[in-house]
Amino acid sequence: MLEAQRLHVGYGDAPALWDVSLAVAAGECVSVIGPNGAGKTTLVNAIARLLPIRQGRLRFDGSDVSAAGAQDMCNRGVALIPEGRRLFTRMTVEENLDLGSYRRAARGARETARERVYAMFPILAERRRQHAGTMSGGQQQMLAIGRALMSQPKMLLIDEPSLGLAPLVVEQVFATIKQIHASGVSILLIEQNVTKALDLVERAYVLEGGRIVAQGKPAELRAQPHIRAAYLGADA
Amino acid sequence: MALTRNGRAAPAIVAVAAAALFLVPAAKVPAFYESFLYLMFYWIALATSWNILSGYAHYLSFGHGAFFGAGVYATATLTTKLGVPFLASIPLAAGVAALLALGIGAVVFRLNRLRGDLFALLTLAVAFVLATVILNTPIDGGPGVYLSAVPLPNLAGSPSATIYVLGLAIAVIAVAAAYAVAHSRLGLGLFAIHDDEDVAEAKGVPTFRYKMIAFAISAGIAGAVGAVHAMYVSYVTVGETFGITIPLYVVLMSVLGGMRHWLGPAVGAIIIGASLFAFTGGASATVGRAAVALGLIAVILLLPDGVVPTLLRRSGALFRRSAAPAAAPPATPPAAAAVPAAPRREPAAADAGPLLVCDGVHRSFGGIHALRGVQLEVKRGEILGLVGPNGSGKTTLINVVSGHYPRDAGSIALDGREIGHLKPHRVAQMGIARTYQIPRPFAHLSALDNVVLAATFGRESDKASVRAEARHWLDFAGLGARAHALPGALNLHERKFLELARALAAHPSLLMLDEVLAGLTPTEIENAVALIRRIRDAGTTILFVEHNMRAVLELCDRLVVLNYGAVIASGAPREVMRNPEVVSAYLGGTHA
Amino acid sequence: MPSFTLLGQALVSGVLIGGLYGLLGLGLTLSWGLLHLINIAYFGLAFLSAYLTYHLGEVYHLPPWYAAALLVPAFFAAGVALHWTLARFRVAGLVSLLVTFGLIVVVEAVIQIVWTADFRKLELPYLTASAKLGPVYLPYMELTAFLIAAALAVGTWAVLRYTYFGKAVRAAAEEPSMAAAYGINHRANALLIAGLCAASAAVAGIFIALTTTLAPSQMFAWFGVVFAVVIIGGLGNPLGALVAGVLIGVAESMTMALIAPAWAPVVAFSLLIALLIWQPRWL
Repeated sequence: MLEAQRLHVGYGDAPALWDVSLAVAAGECVSVIGPNGAGKTTLVNAIARLLPIRQGRLRFDGSDVSAAGAQDMCNRGVALIPEGRRLFTRMTVEENLDLGSYRRAARGARETARERVYAMFPILAERRRQHAGTMSGGQQQMLAIGRALMSQPKMLLIDEPSLGLAPLVVEQVFATIKQIHASGVSILLIEQNVTKALDLVERAYVLEGGRIVAQGKPAELRAQPHIRAAYLGADA
Repeated sequence: MALTRNGRAAPAIVAVAAAALFLVPAAKVPAFYESFLYLMFYWIALATSWNILSGYAHYLSFGHGAFFGAGVYATATLTTKLGVPFLASIPLAAGVAALLALGIGAVVFRLNRLRGDLFALLTLAVAFVLATVILNTPIDGGPGVYLSAVPLPNLAGSPSATIYVLGLAIAVIAVAAAYAVAHSRLGLGLFAIHDDEDVAEAKGVPTFRYKMIAFAISAGIAGAVGAVHAMYVSYVTVGETFGITIPLYVVLMSVLGGMRHWLGPAVGAIIIGASLFAFTGGASATVGRAAVALGLIAVILLLPDGVVPTLLRRSGALFRRSAAPAAAPPATPPAAAAVPAAPRREPAAADAGPLLVCDGVHRSFGGIHALRGVQLEVKRGEILGLVGPNGSGKTTLINVVSGHYPRDAGSIALDGREIGHLKPHRVAQMGIARTYQIPRPFAHLSALDNVVLAATFGRESDKASVRAEARHWLDFAGLGARAHALPGALNLHERKFLELARALAAHPSLLMLDEVLAGLTPTEIENAVALIRRIRDAGTTILFVEHNMRAVLELCDRLVVLNYGAVIASGAPREVMRNPEVVSAYLGGTHA
Repeated sequence: MPSFTLLGQALVSGVLIGGLYGLLGLGLTLSWGLLHLINIAYFGLAFLSAYLTYHLGEVYHLPPWYAAALLVPAFFAAGVALHWTLARFRVAGLVSLLVTFGLIVVVEAVIQIVWTADFRKLELPYLTASAKLGPVYLPYMELTAFLIAAALAVGTWAVLRYTYFGKAVRAAAEEPSMAAAYGINHRANALLIAGLCAASAAVAGIFIALTTTLAPSQMFAWFGVVFAVVIIGGLGNPLGALVAGVLIGVAESMTMALIAPAWAPVVAFSLLIALLIWQPRWL
């Protein structure tokens, strides 16, 4: 479904990603883990085509999208749930959701999609007229996920959904992601919380200092001492 | 542009040129040349004075004409209606213009949002309002003011020569002022304000005061130009005085010549002024104006840095700073720098009381109650860890303690003295420094200059040794080899360490680190942890906000946990981590 | 103390011209608030439109509504072209102010070269006609100007608030990359808005030609008012611009009636200064 081949991405003259390759098969749930500043958000923004790719190729659903724009990716069925949510804070919950289905292919099904989102997140239904900026972190994360679902995505790019959320809320969010995956949507999950990420996914990549340093199934990665010590804590 | 290297070539050349120009009247050249040169001095003075605030600090003023006009009419009124001698009226006119600037500044420099935009548009409106006021009061009233009857003291042999000399004098003063400001503390502060005003304030720069001073100097010089010009034209009208010409031309001249350099506007003035000499009066003036405006647009779009900096980069022969940097710094491997020579302060006495006390601090943003009665103490000489989920208020607390946000309720005391009501630069001067989660260096200043600024405006700042101090802290942070690099060329790790060096150079008694380890590799984290320990050992108390639990456990003497804006636990790190409330609310039961 | 009738007339005049102020400010407030471009060139375009209306009327004897049919689409295109150029050079923030400042000076110079600095007034028979409401006169032209200004302000506000397009525009103003990531073509939308701002400037210009005397020197005198309208009304708020315009218009006309006409230009500025000193939360 998604294939990144030897991507080089940078900001101005400062390179941020070197030779990054990864793949997500249709229906798979894959994670990229690593410390803050490793370049995870840079990677997901490059895949969402919000950042230019200097070298390398990106393919989605069989087509080369290395030079595509963010809108193009959206129209092809990629939905982004960015780090920090980045909702339209001055607009209501319902307006945020409706804007999620802006792309032509999703507009027709807007009403049904909205009802489904409200069924999944009753709290959003309750607060449909509330301004997004006044909601709590957890509620905003729900709304960000809901907004993404409104676009009828084939693939979700989820960037650090646990950031800033209380652990109980994090549990809910991950349960939701699992549910969405079960419905057939491919998922690329960027996470700093290694435990939760490895519990959820089928495969993972480890990004450190802008490079992929390890990859494999969760059990394999958990067994590697370097990763365990650095990320799971000395007594994990 | 390097501020800390002292070039002697340019000022010397300017001084020699000025001296030569003073002798021109004695050479009895035709009046035409004196007129032409006077016009050059006029524009040099106006453009250079404009640049002192607008170029250095990036507060673009579109109303420079207002100060010029204030000077014109101050002199016109003082000499014709109040009998003040012309020469005496010049400094008075400058004073009037400066007061006008202070009035505008008092209103707009205090705003938090849209400062730059509002300042620009407000100054544009001021000129025309001032024109209206003058037109409708006895100051002018409509018919204009004649100064032909005002006696002009003979300073250089003839009236035109006298005007020439006065014009030259003011131009020299303007350029000298620009030079002096650029190389002073004021200038350093202004350049910092240009890049990031909030950070400048947090590093101890008294931003409001400096902006007011720069604005007053800029306006005062323009007022003096106006005073002399009133005599030159000897008949002043509102229409002629308050047009769009001056505001437009000074902007173009400075943009063309280079706004960050003290000589830039003068160069721009000479280039533009000379080319415009062809368009004088009548329809040509309008065409000239259009050409200037088009030129401004072209320059902004194509030559954003201006002529002088571009020339400096390309040539380097005449104007490049001749002093070589003092012995190249030895390549210091990161984190291998020695502990600073002597401890900066005595070790804390056991019963000296806590260094920082937050008592019931509240802070809300709109509907969000970010801090709900935060209660904590930081003991002298300790490393206090502050942890909690994102959104729990850690960065907000740092912002409130540093003075960036006022607290809504509660008290914050440093060394027993209440600081909650102080402006950020005062808090910085009292000894609190902070780093930013995402590094915010001053983009146009080199790494060394960034640290020099912090050292200059921090506590215990000793003028003579500031550069050496800065160099020391840069080496301490392992950045000695990158002293002259611009922040844009540094990677994240280096920028974070620059933040650290900058914070340390202010000699804080309390250092607040905001997620300084985020984004570092494990090796870099080890280095940082060692560095932080050495900082504490040298006598600085540290408030350490961090997510990385391993580092927190390694470094911190005590731990405070924040959740939803309130402290839920504090004490010895491992105990706190075992507190069931902390475990359930923050760790979620996933850590062993 | 002036008579009740005089005060009433002043009130009415103030309200009517306030509408025009609001319309003049519409382009700047939408551009600043939604596109983050301080585009004062719209103000210059309004005056260019005023002079062109005058020219078409005096020289070609073209009634204003024909002039409108020509000018509005032409200015729409000009607005699009202008924004496209600014976007191409990645102009934003204070740089946009500098560039549009240059443009406004060019426009003023062009106006002065073509039409000279003399005062120009469009002379048409129906321009001075008014209705009468009790003792108070309601000049038809000013009234029409006000109604159209109000319609445009309310219409723009409604579009922004209630239509899908309007919401997409507001979303893009806050988070351009997220809007793009959700399929909103914010660059195309921005061009459309820029065109509409320029078109509204054209309309404002037509009414300026119909209701006032034109002179290049007048241009910058109006500037202070427009700037005050935009700040007091709130950036990006078309209704706010209208309300602020009316407020300033009434304050000015009252000043003219109660104190002296010459002081009117200072009123807007003083209101603005007062507001900046008071510093309400939304500023």
